[in-house]
This record gives sequence, structure tokens and C-alpha cells, in this order.
Amino acid sequence: MVKTVVIGLGNTILRDDGAGVFVARDLRRRLLGTDITVIETECAGMNLIEMLKGFDRAVLVDAIRLDGVAPGTVLRLVPDDLKITPRLASCHDIDIVTALELGRRLGLRMPREVSIYAIQAADTQTLREGCTRAVRAALRPTADEIEALLNGREGEKISIRLAERDGGDA
Amino acid sequence: MKRVDIDPITRLEGHGKISIFINDDGSVENAYLQIPELRGFEKFVEGLPVEEIPRIMPRICGVCPAAHHMAAGKAVDNVYGVDIPPVAKKLRELFYMAHFIHSHAAHFYALAAPDFVLGPDAPKAQRNVLGLIAKVGIELGGEVIKQRAVSQDIQRMVGGRATHPVWCIPGGVTRALSAEHAAEIRELAAGQLAFAELSLKLFDDLVLSNPQYLELIMGDVFEQVTNYMGLVDENGKVNFYHGRVRVVDTEGKELFSYSEPEYRDYIAEHVEPWSYLKFPYIKERGWQGFVEGSGTPLYQANPLPRLNAADGMATPKAQAAYEKMFETVGGKPCHKLMVNHWARLVEMLYAAERLAELIGDEEITDPNVRVIPSTTPKEGVGIVEAPRGTLTHHYWTDENGIVTKANLVVGTTNNNASINMAVKKAAQKLIKPGGEVSEGLLNMVEMAFRLFDPCFSCATHSLPGQMPLTVEILDREGVVLNVVSR
Repeated sequence: MVKTVVIGLGNTILRDDGAGVFVARDLRRRLLGTDITVIETECAGMNLIEMLKGFDRAVLVDAIRLDGVAPGTVLRLVPDDLKITPRLASCHDIDIVTALELGRRLGLRMPREVSIYAIQAADTQTLREGCTRAVRAALRPTADEIEALLNGREGEKISIRLAERDGGDA
Repeated sequence: MKRVDIDPITRLEGHGKISIFINDDGSVENAYLQIPELRGFEKFVEGLPVEEIPRIMPRICGVCPAAHHMAAGKAVDNVYGVDIPPVAKKLRELFYMAHFIHSHAAHFYALAAPDFVLGPDAPKAQRNVLGLIAKVGIELGGEVIKQRAVSQDIQRMVGGRATHPVWCIPGGVTRALSAEHAAEIRELAAGQLAFAELSLKLFDDLVLSNPQYLELIMGDVFEQVTNYMGLVDENGKVNFYHGRVRVVDTEGKELFSYSEPEYRDYIAEHVEPWSYLKFPYIKERGWQGFVEGSGTPLYQANPLPRLNAADGMATPKAQAAYEKMFETVGGKPCHKLMVNHWARLVEMLYAAERLAELIGDEEITDPNVRVIPSTTPKEGVGIVEAPRGTLTHHYWTDENGIVTKANLVVGTTNNNASINMAVKKAAQKLIKPGGEVSEGLLNMVEMAFRLFDPCFSCATHSLPGQMPLTVEILDREGVVLNVVSR
């Protein structure tokens, strides 16, 4: 059986930075009674190894800030794209790619399949609860898409691949 | 004049940036570190019941939540004017020692050691924790992960949660330590101690026995003469939780020491138009700009500054390591910034020894962990040493305990001027007229920044410790002439 973990990363008192956590919180409610694990965290780096170990599949949700992308846009990434979200790139620590690889080299069972959803933020610097309007509007559709993905019924996506975004030079 | 920008991920807005201004002859004129500060902190806490503060403050950042929990906890005790029970002090310190081990280990193994083990010129793809374990062995990697998990577990057993503790409350802590948990922590303490000793030995083997690295540490690229700050206990020994803040001058002589409520009598904050982050300095000396040397108002607060400011370590093994360190680097105070990496490991050893001492204390499971505050709240300051510098929390409330105002001086902010100066000096010594801005050079400049273990997550949002850099070279008008990325 494929063991799956959903990890929402972010800070819930820092406006849009909390987007990943809010999506995870929604998914936790929806996934009650399934064997999917949902984690909300403000941590990153080496701590991710602890959270990812023992799972076959991981879905990570974080906020992102790219130039020229409209707030609320949902981007789909793979770990190798990842030098760009606040927590997954590195937060005083190692990045997600390094965390996955380090876990593997240490002989831990690490997810073979890692999907990353990154929601374009408008404000990640104001200490205040709740997201800005555009990001708030993206939370439920993101959770819908991830829920569909987890249930194996992939439909129409609201997210776009990182490379498909306007002026996609990343 | 050209400008070189070292920018962590240029595509991410709102992050820190190092700008290096280059003269027409190719020499470095100046360098600035710019950090965007988090907005709205005071507004955010205004109107909240002050007893909620210790559980909210750790949420500002996932990097050193325990430090904010401790400082806020102490501040709130002082807002209510309560002296907490002895066992509550011991438990808080115990919790905090585990946090120090966790934090210092992350910095050393993920950020500092790769530069030394693989060399500052090694390609970035190898110069990381993976390259480190490839070189020194997989067992070490496993031990790092294991002992970090253990220090998290200890925090969990003592304080309920490791990352977002809700355990310090006005007058003490929410729960006593159970006998079962105490027994378990006693078992784990030996492993933490062995790990700290192993880390120092590794530093010895890999760094100190390598003449090239020793030269890097002792050379003048990474040197800065300032005053030093650190919390000391009643015997003048390094302490992370208790005591008075002592500041020593560039010769190591005590300038003054202060208790928590007195911090504003001694420390003032300067504002520069180009930076959101303030620049603290010694008030009586007045702001003099970015100057080092005798008479400077600037101070540093970090592992080496703490060791410089104190008379020694309160535990035997750490004391021996402290003596060895200062003997090797030519006495105290030491102005060689790279020695911070060594000092960080001496502190990790102290934290592990102190942890063992505290858990061995027979009073540690005493159930009397709180006194109920009975006075009208007003104002309070709490100070602890965060892993990356002295951390001050200050709250004012109305008579109902509702926060009306708050002020924070976070660990890294203390070093703001120093980091700027260190980066400038490294850039000036390394970037030569006509020379190329190479990857290795960029990393050396970054090392000047990294050795402070800077974390702006609470001053700002998540400036990464290990940051991808882009260097932009600009002319006097700010036109980009060249971009070097890595």
C-alpha cells in the first residue's frame, strides 16, 4: 500500500505565508478516516527528513513569491525546480532536494513521488492572521485539486506547471 | 563606481541582499546588507492578553521558537512581578539546553562544516551536508539526524511540544516533569553529550589540523574588533537563561552589566535610511557609524562574543574546551570571527553537560511548578541568550493585562552592523582590481555573513542561511553591467 503524507508549510500569523498550512488544515478535515497523514509545520530543512521518512508519496504545499506572477496563482513543481519557496528552498537549513537525498543516503525510506504546490503570495511580511483576498480565494481550489490527486481522479487543474507560467524562465 | 549585489534568490521579493559598491579601479568602496523587516509586530500583539504572548511569540519563526518562548515567558513573569518556583526555572533551562543542541548542530553540520570539510572553493553542489557525509562517513550523518531528533524529543517530554511550545505561563510552567520522562531523558543525556564531544573532535580533526583552514580562521579577512555581549551567571560564567547581560570592551574589560529592566539605559538603536533593520549600539558612546576598534559603540552577540564576555564555562568539559580554544587563538578576547564556529561547539558541549546536570537534579520532578500571579500587571522585560545572540522581549500592558506596546531586540539584530562590516571587509580583501568575481570568492564573502548564523526570520521572513547568491555588478548609476549566479 502506498503511504502518503501531505505537508503544509508556512506561518499562519504572517498573512499569505500561511497559505500552505491553511490548505493542509482543510485537507486534514476532508481526509479524516483515510490513511493519509496530514502535517502542518513551520519548520523545514532537516526537520523535513523526520516528516517525510517512511512515506512513499508526499504532497507539499507552500507559499511562493515569484516576479510577475499574479497573487493566488497555483504553481505545480517538482523538487528539482525548487530553489524558490521560502521554506522548501532553505530556512537556516538544507533545502528539500538535499533533505530527500540525505534521508535516502542515510538509508531511510523516503518518498519516491513528491508533488509540490506553491501558491503565489501577495504579502508575506505583515504579521497578521489570514491571507490576502486573492490567496484566500485560491486555498479551497488548491485543496480540491490535491484531494482529487490523492483520490486518483485527476480532473481539470487550476494549477500550472512552473515552466508554463508567463515568461516561464525558471 | 560599480555595484555588486549579492542577492538571495533574486526572484523572491522581500528578501535580504548584499550590495557591494566597486570603484572605477575595481577596488571595493563599500558594502551593505539590506534586510526587509517584518511589519506590524507591535500592532499584532497590541490588544492581546499578555499571558498569551509566550505561546504566540514562538510562531513568529520556526527556527528558534524555544528562544522566543523563553524570553517571552520571562518577560511575562516580570509583567506580573512573580518569581517563579526553583523547579520551573530548572525545567525551562533544561528545555532550553536541548534547543541549543538542536540549533547549534544544525548550523554546524548543515551550514558551517561543509565549507571546512570540502573547502570554500568546492563546487556548491558538493559543498553541503551530503558532501560532508560523503567525506566523513554515513554514520556521522545518521548520528546528526538521530541526536537532533533526540533533542527535539527532550523538548517534547519537558515542554509538551518542541516547535510551538505552549508551556511557559506567567508564574512558571503548565506541567511538571514526570518521573518516567525524567528517567528517559537521563538515558538520552549521555548520547547528547557524546555527540557534542564528537562534534568538537571533528572540528579538531578536520579544521584545526589543517594549516590552510587555520590560516583562514586566523587571517585578517575575517577579523573585527568590537565590544562583546553575553548573559553571565553570578560567577561570571556563560549562561543562556539566567543572569545579567555583561558587555566587555575590545580589550575584554567589563564596560557594564545590566539586569533585564535596565536594557534601555545601556543599549540604543540606530536607524539607517537604506535598511529596515535597526542597528543597536552602546548608548553612552553614541552612534559613530560603522567603525571597529577601541572606543567603538558597536558590539557583537553570538557564541564567540558570549565566550569573550564571560569568565568561563560553568561545566568542566566545556571549561576545558573553552581554555583550549582561547589558548589556540591567542587569548581573550578573540576578534577572529570564524572562531564563532568553534565557540558554537564549545557552547553545544556546555548545553549537553548542563542538560545532564539538570536532569540529574533530584528536585527536577517537583510538582510545584507555578505560582499564581497576584499583582496588577504593568510592564516587563525578559532576556535570554538565543543561539544567535542576546534576545530581549519587552511588553507594556494596561491594568487588565492587555498588551499596549511591545519591543523586541532579536539575536541577529545585535549583529547587524557587524555583519555589514564583516561582509565589507571580506569583499575588500578578496575582490581585487581587475580580478574576477568567482564562485569561490562569492562563497568566501558569504562565509563572512554565514558565520554569524544570521537568521532574520523573526526580524524578517526567512532569509535562508544557506543562500543561493546572485552577484550583480552595477555602475555608479545603478545600471547592471554583469550578473554572476551560482
